[in-house]
Amino acid sequence: MNAVVIRETFRRHVTHAGYISVLVLIAILGIVSAQSIRPATFWPGLVTLLAVVTGCGIIGPEFSSGTLQLILVKPVNRSSYLLSRVTGVLLVIWLAALTGCAAETLARLFNKSLVLESMGIGLVNVMAETLLIVSLLTLLGSITRAYFNVAIFYGLQIALAVGAAVLRMSREVPAFVLEALAAIDRNLFPDVPPLPNPGLLLLLLSNAAVALLLACLAFNQREVPYGAD
Amino acid sequence: MTVQVQSLRKSFRAHEVLKGIDLTVAPGEVVGLIGPNGAGKTTLMSCLLGFLHPDDGEITIDGRANDDLDVRRRTGFVPERMNFGRRVTGQEFLRYMAGLAGVPRTEVASRSAAMLERLGLGGAEHKRLSQYSRGMLQRIGMAQALIHEPDYVFLDEPTSGLDPNGVLLVRDLIAEQKARGAAVLLNSHQLAEIEKVCDRVVFLQRGVIAHAETLRHVDKIVVAITLLPGSFDPVTLAKISGVVPKENVVVVAVDAESDIARIVRALVESGAGVIDVRRHTADLESIFRGAA
Repeated sequence: MNAVVIRETFRRHVTHAGYISVLVLIAILGIVSAQSIRPATFWPGLVTLLAVVTGCGIIGPEFSSGTLQLILVKPVNRSSYLLSRVTGVLLVIWLAALTGCAAETLARLFNKSLVLESMGIGLVNVMAETLLIVSLLTLLGSITRAYFNVAIFYGLQIALAVGAAVLRMSREVPAFVLEALAAIDRNLFPDVPPLPNPGLLLLLLSNAAVALLLACLAFNQREVPYGAD
Repeated sequence: MTVQVQSLRKSFRAHEVLKGIDLTVAPGEVVGLIGPNGAGKTTLMSCLLGFLHPDDGEITIDGRANDDLDVRRRTGFVPERMNFGRRVTGQEFLRYMAGLAGVPRTEVASRSAAMLERLGLGGAEHKRLSQYSRGMLQRIGMAQALIHEPDYVFLDEPTSGLDPNGVLLVRDLIAEQKARGAAVLLNSHQLAEIEKVCDRVVFLQRGVIAHAETLRHVDKIVVAITLLPGSFDPVTLAKISGVVPKENVVVVAVDAESDIARIVRALVESGAGVIDVRRHTADLESIFRGAA
């Protein structure tokens, strides 16, 4: 890990007007969530979206812009750079999650409807889910260019859903194909309700770890084009 | 602190771009890399910097692999076009680069400020890179490459987009690196610049080094001798001057002025009508034309 890269990634995001606006919006949604019986209802969705928006910029666009050339001649190991960027982005996302959670907690304290345990579980689940999203986008970014990672991310999600629905209509498709598609969908894009589920948490963390490992391997092997696209 | 390339080969699918390059850049030496478009200069530079993986051959810097982190700590690189997050200010960018290059945290701010001042960007440190002109981006590109006083400097068209003051500044900076003992490889199409700052020049053509010249050899005395048409025998002339004439002009390169007199005397004695003898210093342009 490289502290300079983590610090700079974090600084660049948190000083961005767009990020500050999202943070305010998440805080408002946190307050709104306090009106709901189920904790962590509204703001996690926006945090997840923030994870996609910030996560997709990690490596792919740097290949295309030519920024990576300046970085890679510096004494920073490629894997270390990649993981430091991921860490910086995760800190940014988790700060937003904490903001939403804190806003909801304060509002619930005011409403006297605080369910601290559920709030904590909701926060942990969102953090784990965003870790998986960022890890997948990083993996896709390490093998593609520009913002193709986010296109593939959503494309795959849609293809899995549509593909499974279409195949289910056909009687000739073997059951294991449908099960395989469902398993891929569950592993890559799991539904994460704000409920205690250690198994799901473990799945998110292990899949994220595998994605990051593959991303490091791909990035280490990858040739960096000279100049910008 | 020597940059050494041995039998370097690199292909993109079936197209072999580098066909066995051997190159050495010694400490305190400035080597110019020139050649026509598509010659393989960028590919060579990319292999040297570790952006591309060579198919064959070896690149060592001070006896180590070019991706060794200690080598990278002592490497500076100026890209042809500075591409970075354009929302950051010049100061933020330079501090980040200095931090990455391993400049101690306590020195980052002072070195960045000094470097910005040195590069003539003193008043523009708080401007965003998106507000920088092409020349300013080139200057800050130079600043990030030199802020950690590297031992190996790779410059890709460092004067492109610069005004005359900027060109002079880059020239001074290159001279400073040389004086510090850094090995400098300069890729440029500006033949005049190469001629002024380089100790040695390498002509790359179709993936091979077609010509390598130490520039003090380039400073030979070159003479263009114009002869009266029909007054000379080309074969005799070639024997005397060692050069086949083009139409009625023969261009010869000699080491000393006494050689000019000797050749002209021999031509006159052979019956050739010498109309004009003009002396000029050979420039890279003529060598480039010859090599290309």
